Amino acid sequence: MWNEKPKIIINHRIELFTWILLGIFVFLFFNLWYLSVLQSGFYQEKSERNRIRVIPLQAPRGIITDRYGQVLAQDIPRFVAILLPGSADPEKSRQTLEKIIKRKIKEPLRNRYSGEIVLASQMSIEEVAKVEEAKKELPGVMIEAYPKRIYPPGENVAHIVGYVGKINTEEMKEFGPTNYNNEDVIGKSGIELNYEELLRGQKGYRKIEVDALGRIVRILDTSSPRFRHTLTLTLDLELQKYCNELLAGKNGVILVGDPTNGELLAMANQPSFDPNLLVDGVSQEEWNELISNPQKPLTTRSLQALYPPGSIFKLIVGLAAQEANIAPQERTIFCPGYYEYNNSKYPCWRKSGHGRLTFENALAQSCNITFYTLGLELGPNKIVDMAKRLGFGEDTGIDLPGENHGFLPTSRWKRQKFAEPWYPGDTINLSIGQGYLLVTPFEIFQSIIAIANRGIVYLPHFLKEVQNEKGERIEGILPKVKNRIELRPDTWEILIKGMTKVITEGTGRACHDLPLPVAGKTGTAQNPHGIDHSWFAGFFPIDKPKYAFVVFVENGGDGSGEAAHRSRDLIQWIYDHRENSFNENN
Amino acid sequence: MKITKVFPFIILFLNIVGLLAVYSTDPLRGESAFTLTFFGRQLMWCLLSWLIFLVFSRIDYHWFIKLEWILYLIIILSLVAVLFFGSGDDIGARRWLFFRSVQPSEFSKVGFAIFLAAFLSVQPEDYGSWQLLLKTSLLSIIPTGLIFLEPDLGSALVIIVLWFSALFFCGFPWKKILTVFAGLVGLIPFFWLFLHDYQKKRLLSFFAPQSDPLGTGYNVLQSKITIGAGGFWGKGWLSGTQSQLRFLPAHHTDFIFASWCEQLGFIGGIIILVLFLWLIWTIFRVGLGAPDLEGKILTTLFGSILIFQVLINIGMNMGVMPVTGIPLPFISYGGSSLFVNMLAMGIVWNIGKSGGNEEWE
Repeated sequence: MWNEKPKIIINHRIELFTWILLGIFVFLFFNLWYLSVLQSGFYQEKSERNRIRVIPLQAPRGIITDRYGQVLAQDIPRFVAILLPGSADPEKSRQTLEKIIKRKIKEPLRNRYSGEIVLASQMSIEEVAKVEEAKKELPGVMIEAYPKRIYPPGENVAHIVGYVGKINTEEMKEFGPTNYNNEDVIGKSGIELNYEELLRGQKGYRKIEVDALGRIVRILDTSSPRFRHTLTLTLDLELQKYCNELLAGKNGVILVGDPTNGELLAMANQPSFDPNLLVDGVSQEEWNELISNPQKPLTTRSLQALYPPGSIFKLIVGLAAQEANIAPQERTIFCPGYYEYNNSKYPCWRKSGHGRLTFENALAQSCNITFYTLGLELGPNKIVDMAKRLGFGEDTGIDLPGENHGFLPTSRWKRQKFAEPWYPGDTINLSIGQGYLLVTPFEIFQSIIAIANRGIVYLPHFLKEVQNEKGERIEGILPKVKNRIELRPDTWEILIKGMTKVITEGTGRACHDLPLPVAGKTGTAQNPHGIDHSWFAGFFPIDKPKYAFVVFVENGGDGSGEAAHRSRDLIQWIYDHRENSFNENN
Repeated sequence: MKITKVFPFIILFLNIVGLLAVYSTDPLRGESAFTLTFFGRQLMWCLLSWLIFLVFSRIDYHWFIKLEWILYLIIILSLVAVLFFGSGDDIGARRWLFFRSVQPSEFSKVGFAIFLAAFLSVQPEDYGSWQLLLKTSLLSIIPTGLIFLEPDLGSALVIIVLWFSALFFCGFPWKKILTVFAGLVGLIPFFWLFLHDYQKKRLLSFFAPQSDPLGTGYNVLQSKITIGAGGFWGKGWLSGTQSQLRFLPAHHTDFIFASWCEQLGFIGGIIILVLFLWLIWTIFRVGLGAPDLEGKILTTLFGSILIFQVLINIGMNMGVMPVTGIPLPFISYGGSSLFVNMLAMGIVWNIGKSGGNEEWE
């Protein structure tokens, strides 16, 4: 070889490079060891999470029916398209989806519990079919069915059945994240809220192994969701609808129930709202509109609104007077049309006066003078005591959430509030259900039941029975005595006689031509804000009461008018359509 | 035993590992006729490449050295042809000639190595001079630029690596090599303008793979998960969920190392690393024993290509090198790369056999 020097240079560099080579391999060895030995556990877990997905399967909620099996609430299937994380760009997938189902999706993209992205919810079965056909264009997109709640009778039962909605953060805190996920629906009001535990189904899940495109390779484990209970209510949907018709165009309440067992048959509240609109969540605007509506459609008037009872309250004053035995049958009180006390004149509603009246007739004519006299003789404490015994100002125990209590004024309260003593004038007002006194329609309803049953009040309830998923009855609600008011037997009988006379010859003559005897009482509540409120309450048949009712019309004027005429129609309807109920032996 | 006797066996072992790896990651395994599966085709190419290996090991390498400028011309012409007549692949790069049968950029790696060896071997008196450095730089920049325009970033880098290796082995002083390197780094912003979006993304994601877990970073992340999930002993042959369920993209080509490690674990990875170390070590031993300058330069250049590709590919699988689309020699699925590497190994074997005056173990 003619020149060895370059060769030596190259050989020298090769030997040098051998070290670099070793260095590179040591570097690679170290990295491999780091990944597959040191960090192996960490990556193994990541790899598991890559391929195993637990998909919760939403359970349908229990069905709610009325006493005759008419559906009040049930679930229908709707579909949601979700995107598995890491499989595609959510925005692009959304656009592709929109192209496939040919509609704009308005809801914002959002994350679900397990990190999946919700592309579209509320998809119909037709849209799902289109998506399944175009599956290849939508890698990582999965369709899941979910139950959507519907309320076929809509507005008619809104205040009883209530509605469901997505769980909010406060509810999440209350019920705990172990029981609910952030996509779950939960009862928001009414029966849906009160019996959430029974209605809520048992969630299922599906553990699946997926490939990188989100395609299911195999199902590892499945647990089917179960809906657990069907609730049958005591509600009579036909009757409920009729009650709503009776109130049409007015604000008011109609309550109908069975005094012999506490079952509630109808509870119409007007105005009402459509619970179907609230299930999917309304926009902030719509919600604001609902709650700022001056008519307050969301308020359950029967349980939550407070009104002066007016002459209806004479029933309570009458009970107190009879119990104190200050108005025996032979005692009469003269009504000249006004009552003079301490140089003030308190009028009777009939300016010409009623003349001489026995207690029964005074009740029938709703004579103020008689009740002023009796009230002053009793004093406010005895009246309030009787009201308390009848359940005013206390929980009624009804199986609906959010009930309010009426207000029974006392001298102590008045002193604290106005720094004034209790005047006899206050007692006079109290005697005819005016002044500071406020009640809920349901409290009046409870006192009517107490009278009809001669002191026995059953726990009021809407739930009739609970069936399991096979349709077997697992729990029937038996009548439970909530309150036993021990009064002299005569007290009840005299009151009932008076109430009978209300219909036959008194203020409730609107009901006198009914085919069966009815006991009732009218009420005209003076309303400082406008036209008087109109009350009518009663029960029938008199000897063996099967129905108790309260009709209340806001600004309905005279009790013997609006409320009494509606009551008449109500009783007639029940007589025509529910004839059999009078022959039942229970 | 003589190195020349051992040499083909190392290559055979690597080929067997490669075939097993392709078989285990074959997306069409059991789903189509054997000859259409990736494994079937790879087996065919493997047999063909052995023919190439054996043929080239019998051709005196001086014959290629004599081609010198003709070879250079062919390289330039074929690369220009690709730019005008080439057919593209799915990501928009034009890399193929003759109905997707030939990848000129692959062959230009070997061709340019031979040309450089020939060009440098005749002027040893100029080694280390600025003049020679400038000449080689101009000769390198043309094919590099052409390949870069296709674009095929990986192959363009290989040409640059060849040039650097040539400077290094021909004894250019460190100062000059580092100056050139610094100059090239300074030019990066200029090259950046020519990069495609996907290439920019790839490079960026190398520096922050977590930043874009759904895009380019996804590949790297999944690759690391794949290797890590294999653990020490691996999940077992054909049982890797990462590659079998296709979380790992390109698991039969660029990321085949990760798939292999998922199945056979740390041990499996070590087997591949040891085989490569053994092979490259042997190649440089051949270089030490080569009888003349052109033989020495050629073997070291081939060794350099190999070490560069192994480092970049395995490093990329482990997330310590950027994703550049360089396959793992002998292992990754693909005919062109296998042919070219086997061709080069054939030449190395020939050089080894002709170097009689060195001592062999």
